[in-house]
Amino acid sequence: MSFTFPSAEWATDYKRKLDENPAYREAAAAWTFGPIALVIKGDAAIGLAEDVGLFLDIDRGVCRDIKVVSRSDADKAPFCIAGEYSRWKSVIRKELDPIKAMMQKKLELKGQMTTIVKYVNASRELVESATRVPTQFLDEK
Amino acid sequence: MSCANDLSFSVYQPTRLVFGDGAVGELVSECKRHHIERPVIVTDKILRTKTDLVSRVEKSLGARLGGVYDGVIPDTGVEVIDDGATFVKKCGGDGLISLGGGSAIDTAKGMAIVLTEGGSIRDHQGASRLIRKQTPHIAIPTTAGTGSEVTLYIVVKDHAAHEKMNFMEDRIIPDGAILDPALTVGMPALLTAATGMDALTHAIEAYTSLNRNPVSDANALHAIRLVVEFLPRAVEHGDDKIARGQMLLAASIAGMAFNSSGVGMVHAMAHVIGARYGVHHGTANAICLPHVMRFCSDELGARYRDIADAMKLPIAGLGDEATGQRAADAVAELLKKLKLPLRLRDVAVPEAELEACAEASTSDGAIVFNGKFATDKDLLLGVYRNAY
Ligand SMILES: [Fe+2]
Repeated sequence: MSFTFPSAEWATDYKRKLDENPAYREAAAAWTFGPIALVIKGDAAIGLAEDVGLFLDIDRGVCRDIKVVSRSDADKAPFCIAGEYSRWKSVIRKELDPIKAMMQKKLELKGQMTTIVKYVNASRELVESATRVPTQFLDEK
Repeated sequence: MSCANDLSFSVYQPTRLVFGDGAVGELVSECKRHHIERPVIVTDKILRTKTDLVSRVEKSLGARLGGVYDGVIPDTGVEVIDDGATFVKKCGGDGLISLGGGSAIDTAKGMAIVLTEGGSIRDHQGASRLIRKQTPHIAIPTTAGTGSEVTLYIVVKDHAAHEKMNFMEDRIIPDGAILDPALTVGMPALLTAATGMDALTHAIEAYTSLNRNPVSDANALHAIRLVVEFLPRAVEHGDDKIARGQMLLAASIAGMAFNSSGVGMVHAMAHVIGARYGVHHGTANAICLPHVMRFCSDELGARYRDIADAMKLPIAGLGDEATGQRAADAVAELLKKLKLPLRLRDVAVPEAELEACAEASTSDGAIVFNGKFATDKDLLLGVYRNAY
């Protein structure tokens, strides 16, 4: 059983994997800066008609909810990280470190960079949990 | 770095550089080239009242001049940028000419965003968010160090919120830069030394960055050669236009290096020392640089070997790590020669706060690409203590 990235089912399983990851809880224990939205940019060639957001409602090491949202709702999060589908695929496969990707202009960031950099270990655990979701990528269907 | 299979990078360097003694005379042609009909000068009050630099640029612009915004302060802030953008709108300006050090250039980069995107600079914090071409901007540096005329970075203080905002946007790299040694001959010796050390730090950190690439490598090594040869001359003989010109080039070339590679631990420390104790950015870098080089030399010795070569140091027979230590010693000797402060205690950094400084440096964006892993409070604290 695998879940299409991005989709509501993928988001639900991702939340489950985060809940099961004590290293994330520890690394993000002091995070009080609000939700983070991840935006996967639309790409008609792979059947993603428009930008899709994953809204991560995170606080003090706990993920309260992950929802699939529109780009405009994603933009309302205090931190919004956007990128092409292929970039997110590389992140999920741990081929691309998301913080380095921001510094290398491979991912776009809205929000305070220093806060994100400070939580480098939490970001690694966010990725680690994502890799544990059995994922079906749109361009491999 | 050789052309290994995993070599992958991008470089975007759009600034048109106009170099030469008297190059400020080219300003009108450059305005036309960048479609600026009514330029507004962005500068500070000291430059405007205590030097003739602003009036020289005004004269060179003639009837085109839209106005002069002289509200720039040493570490630019939200209000300065927002007020500046309002001023430009009132003047009917359609382009910016920044004149001064890094803060004037950074202010104009921020104003360019507000003028094009609207709102306050506060609304645009982040990285790679801007899609459109921004308001045209020609930078005229009057110091030789920050390289801001060719880079995508701005650091803006939000004085009300006591926060620092970082911007990293290809779209704010100035369209043009005028590098005119005649405009830097009046710079005081200490400022020349400190800003020059900022350029050297950019070059050394670019060359040892995890994110380095063959283009940044080439720029970094040449900038190192120029600084080592010409900075002592420019400090000792302020009116030496050749040395001044070569230092302007060194700063821009080092700027191009770190524009694509990023910087490292020295900047992660200097940003904190600057923000907390008001230590000049170049001076803070100068103090920390040799200590960071010593800390990194066990892992980055091979890179320091190239740096030592560029510095023309006698390193025959030395191993990589010893070469790194030798290069660090040479940087410390340069500081002495330039009469810059050598220790953090000399610039009134309190010893009791080194731990807080180390903690703050772990969240500075510059630490991400340091060539040796350094995102750890205890590692940073060790270097802070050595520099104290
Ligand atoms: Fe710098």
